[in-house]
Amino acid sequence: MVEAKHDVLVVGAGCAGMRAAIEAFDAGADVAIISKIHPVRSHSGAAEGGINAALGNASDDSPEKHAFDTVKGSDYLGDQDAIEILCNEAPGDVYQLERWGAVFSRTDEGTIAQRPFGAAGAPRTAYAADITGHVLIQVLYEQIMKRDIRVYEEYFAWKLVVDDDRCQGVIAWNILHGGVAAIGAKTTIVCTGGAGRLYVGTTNAYACTGDGMALALRAGVALEDMEMMQFHPTTLSPTGVLITEGTRGEGAYLLNSEGDRFLKRYAPNAMELASRDVISRAEQTEIDEGRGVDGNVLLDLRHLGAEKILERLHGTRELAMVFAGVDPIDQPIPVRPGAHYHMGGVDTDVWGRTSLEALYAAGECACVSVHGANRLGGNALMETITFGKRAGAHAAEWALTHTTVTVPESAQADAEREVKTLLDRTEGERPWAIRDSLAQTMHENFGVFRREDEMQRQGEIIAALQDRYAHVVVDDKGDVFNNDLTQALELGFLLELAECMVMAGLARKESRGAHARPYDYPERDDEEYLKHTIVRRTDSGLMLDWKPVDITKWQPMERTY
Amino acid sequence: MRTLAYYRGCLASLSAKELATSTEALAPQLGFDLIELESVTCCGAGDIHEAEPDYYLHLNARILAYAEATGSDTLMTICNVCTLNLRQANWELKNDEELLARVNTNLESVGVPSYSGGIDVKHLLWLIAEGDGYDRLKEVAHKGLKGLRVAPFYGCQILRPSKLLGFEDPDRPWTLEAIIEACGGEAVDYPAKIKCCGFPIIQAREEVALGELLQPIQQATEAGADAIVTPCPLCHLSLDAWQSKLEASTGRRFKMPILHLSQLIGVAAGLEESELNFKRHVVSVKPVVERLAV
Amino acid sequence: MTEAAVHTEYATMDVALKIWRYDSSTGERSLETYEVEAPEWVTLLDVLDIVKDRVDGTLAYRKSCRMMICGSCGMRMDGAAVLACRTRMAPLVERGHVPVISAMGNLPIIKDLVVDMGPFWGKIRAVTPWLDTGYAPLPDREHMVEQEDVTPIHKEALCIMCGCCVSECNSMEADPDFLGPAALAKGFRFVGDPRDHADVDRLNNLNDEHGIWDCTRCYFCNERCPKGVDPRDAIAKLGAESVKQGIDHDMGAKHAKWFVKSAETTGWLRETELVPKTQGIVASIKQMKFAMNLARHGKVPLPFPPHVADRVDESRALRKITQLQDRQGALGHVQGERALARIEHTDPGGARRDAPEVTPGETPPPAEG
Repeated sequence: MVEAKHDVLVVGAGCAGMRAAIEAFDAGADVAIISKIHPVRSHSGAAEGGINAALGNASDDSPEKHAFDTVKGSDYLGDQDAIEILCNEAPGDVYQLERWGAVFSRTDEGTIAQRPFGAAGAPRTAYAADITGHVLIQVLYEQIMKRDIRVYEEYFAWKLVVDDDRCQGVIAWNILHGGVAAIGAKTTIVCTGGAGRLYVGTTNAYACTGDGMALALRAGVALEDMEMMQFHPTTLSPTGVLITEGTRGEGAYLLNSEGDRFLKRYAPNAMELASRDVISRAEQTEIDEGRGVDGNVLLDLRHLGAEKILERLHGTRELAMVFAGVDPIDQPIPVRPGAHYHMGGVDTDVWGRTSLEALYAAGECACVSVHGANRLGGNALMETITFGKRAGAHAAEWALTHTTVTVPESAQADAEREVKTLLDRTEGERPWAIRDSLAQTMHENFGVFRREDEMQRQGEIIAALQDRYAHVVVDDKGDVFNNDLTQALELGFLLELAECMVMAGLARKESRGAHARPYDYPERDDEEYLKHTIVRRTDSGLMLDWKPVDITKWQPMERTY
Repeated sequence: MRTLAYYRGCLASLSAKELATSTEALAPQLGFDLIELESVTCCGAGDIHEAEPDYYLHLNARILAYAEATGSDTLMTICNVCTLNLRQANWELKNDEELLARVNTNLESVGVPSYSGGIDVKHLLWLIAEGDGYDRLKEVAHKGLKGLRVAPFYGCQILRPSKLLGFEDPDRPWTLEAIIEACGGEAVDYPAKIKCCGFPIIQAREEVALGELLQPIQQATEAGADAIVTPCPLCHLSLDAWQSKLEASTGRRFKMPILHLSQLIGVAAGLEESELNFKRHVVSVKPVVERLAV
Repeated sequence: MTEAAVHTEYATMDVALKIWRYDSSTGERSLETYEVEAPEWVTLLDVLDIVKDRVDGTLAYRKSCRMMICGSCGMRMDGAAVLACRTRMAPLVERGHVPVISAMGNLPIIKDLVVDMGPFWGKIRAVTPWLDTGYAPLPDREHMVEQEDVTPIHKEALCIMCGCCVSECNSMEADPDFLGPAALAKGFRFVGDPRDHADVDRLNNLNDEHGIWDCTRCYFCNERCPKGVDPRDAIAKLGAESVKQGIDHDMGAKHAKWFVKSAETTGWLRETELVPKTQGIVASIKQMKFAMNLARHGKVPLPFPPHVADRVDESRALRKITQLQDRQGALGHVQGERALARIEHTDPGGARRDAPEVTPGETPPPAEG
């Protein structure tokens, strides 16, 4: 029995999902959102530093400059047509957020304030103190409430329904009350974010388990650039809690154990505002070569002064005090690289369309690709808004020009059988050891620096973990709020995505952006590898393919900061 | 003797005169020389604080200025609401130069001395509990409470917001218990001792307020207390004068005597009825007096 | 994943918790004790994860970001709402304290530590929580807004909708229909937003029964809020704006205005007249029997002769001045926030007593000294 049928079903309620839903609703479609957590709990809300757009409020700027910075930042792997669209539409999209009521910080003239951010040629990161993501989540949810858009709240999207070579909706587990629900839709947009939980020491929430990417993978949809995981340079140890790039935008320094601003040896021009991959590699090198402090480097804000810290970096200070036990007004914060953002994801075109008809993807879980091999700070929030909007618009249009939705009965029945098998199992192992082992080994073998033998080993480790996963036991057999079940299902997603990432990582025999192979392939190889990896599940297992990079204006050049 | 500027507040001057008489009789025994502020007004309570916050700030700045003018460095209050109001105004003025300058300009223009931030505002409860206060108290309370079972009711605004009050842990306060025991009584514990009596809305939302009031009265009764003690005259009014109204919703006639802090210590210190003024209470304090007379 | 599990290089400690388990289908409640080994840096949330992973997978609670921004993990520790991800366990373990963990208050419990947030969101919706620019034409780009005009709502904008304030609201406990601190703070977020032009409608709505004047000023919400929103202050800002804009039909507003009148006429509160001025003559007459009983005990001071403060003309003059200066309404509250923000990084104002380990309602240890 199908719970309901909609024109557009959005999976995930972060910035991308909510923006897509709003756009589709305003285009006249019957829209619903499905989210395993309440929309305002989505991890977009943890974004801190800001959202990039060439508004020109802080200095001369242009979408073209923004685009070039993004292309260079991507280490020339980004698709330039998509990047140009992002940078051209960004200002209008940011103004729309403000007109809806987003509470931005302001310049003296009363315009939206912009701060400098990593690898940007001009200060273009529009911000709200250091809680920009929170402010955007709030304004988008307000607009969802205003339109009374239906949200399947605390429903866990578990499978895509595919029939007639089309995506027909989603099979979900109802977390609050239990039971499998089939929700049909003419178009489905996955906006489920990233998969940082693949790693120990991640900025990501527990909810970031790559659900949408796994759903797509299992439906045979192409995933792109899966090896590209960004390690954010300033995360707390051991948890990985994020300390915003905004600290560096306001002037913070990175020091090693000798009190040295070591970036002068790696990125002498941009220093602390170089690209994130460059800084993470620099930090990891300093730490590996013995100039770290207990496995960290030091982020020093003291010279900014109490007033500025309290006004612009209040949230950051709280995080440092609660999770690192230091007050940044008086002491430097120990930080290290942490898994943060997945540049890779579901391969889409500039409208969010995937290789499966009626399936769209937007936001972090998608790979358009606007970030290529490395993302600039502030561009992720912008991507969620611009491409969420575009996917919503296109999906609505498609839905309104098509009439049928077919959810085969077998889809729900099969799912119910699968759940029963899982819940009935009493002999086996609890998920936590598999999960923790996956995260620890990914950190060791597929982290900031990668090498052939370690990646090979990781592939074997993942296979062994998948064997163990086949016998995983769920303690909670009940219906009401059974997130023991959903957490076990999430682990399944993570294992499959890890497999894709390692496969793509081995295939790319060069160093580019976040994929750094200093021991075996230290240079960037534009002749052979100026192309995207594509991974797909087929009947004969995972297959790897390649896709060219779209180049419009900028030919690859040497990338230094 | 310690010289303290003393702010009586509205209720102690009017419906809660017994608070003033017992405090002023007790003070010398506690070693306090009180200089009552003459030219002051109501602190504004939560009402002026909410409705006209700038006026509230000026009224309290004026009180602080006159307190400073006495030469003392401490202003003693005997009401929770006055304490929070004065402490908040004091903090705002002492930590914002521009604000202080503006307020002082206004004060001076109407003939009030300017305020330089030299006052610390403390409730009588804290002044007693500071330092070796409990030891001193044992001597003062020479007649003793004879094991009287007393339930402390703190009242919201001497505990919260703790960043402005901060004398003790707002969730696990202990000063009243220590005072009860130092005076020879037995402290009775119960969950609602840190909750709200409902007084701020007792006029505008009587039913809601009574729903709150019921909790400390009922819990203290069921815990076997002989009396409740409170440091706030507004709570006292709720707990004492409105106690009879609880009968309508519960069918129970509670008869819990409510003592002001100064009366609790005062009766243990042997103050006269003319100073304690128990006759002014709505719920009779006779059972307590009889217990202690034995 | 539990970060706790993989970092074996940290020192570990033994942590004990008591958790109120609840099954809404049977209505059964039970207090269960759990003892686990955990790294010394863990939070309450980390410990719950260890319990769920290794001891009892049926334990139900919400979580997501683990960095105090998503608002998922609100729950009560020793009867007071906290964010589990923000609560470090080491200090409790050092003191030998075993906390009691239960679901947040004032909301129906679904299971264990999971509450039904439906009523919470219903009240948020009731304050029309989206920008209403009225008939003003929308600009092509952004609204021009000075930073100082954003400042009045910067605290309310911090709210992560965790429910900790609602959990502890004393007024809501007595009146479940009270809109409550989170919804009212959200209400002020719009009333105070210079781009919103629906002030009058909003204030009229919030001045209804179960609105602004239901707040009992217990300050539990300010105390519990993990983000420093200070919802009670937001409610006060709404009260100030209501009075300033003449939306003062509620008894609560009348009550407040009489305090102002008293301060500028006699200086001291004109206590006896407070009742008819707040509730009106008819209601006062209904209270006559009650009032007579109070009067017998001297609790109803005669309004004549009036108790007039010395130099009350200064108070009168100060009111006139403040009426003319530009700190009317909510701005009168906002002006103090710069100073109040400074409290966070200095010592609390006053000496913290070393109190014995007692949670109100538990049997206290014998007093010392």
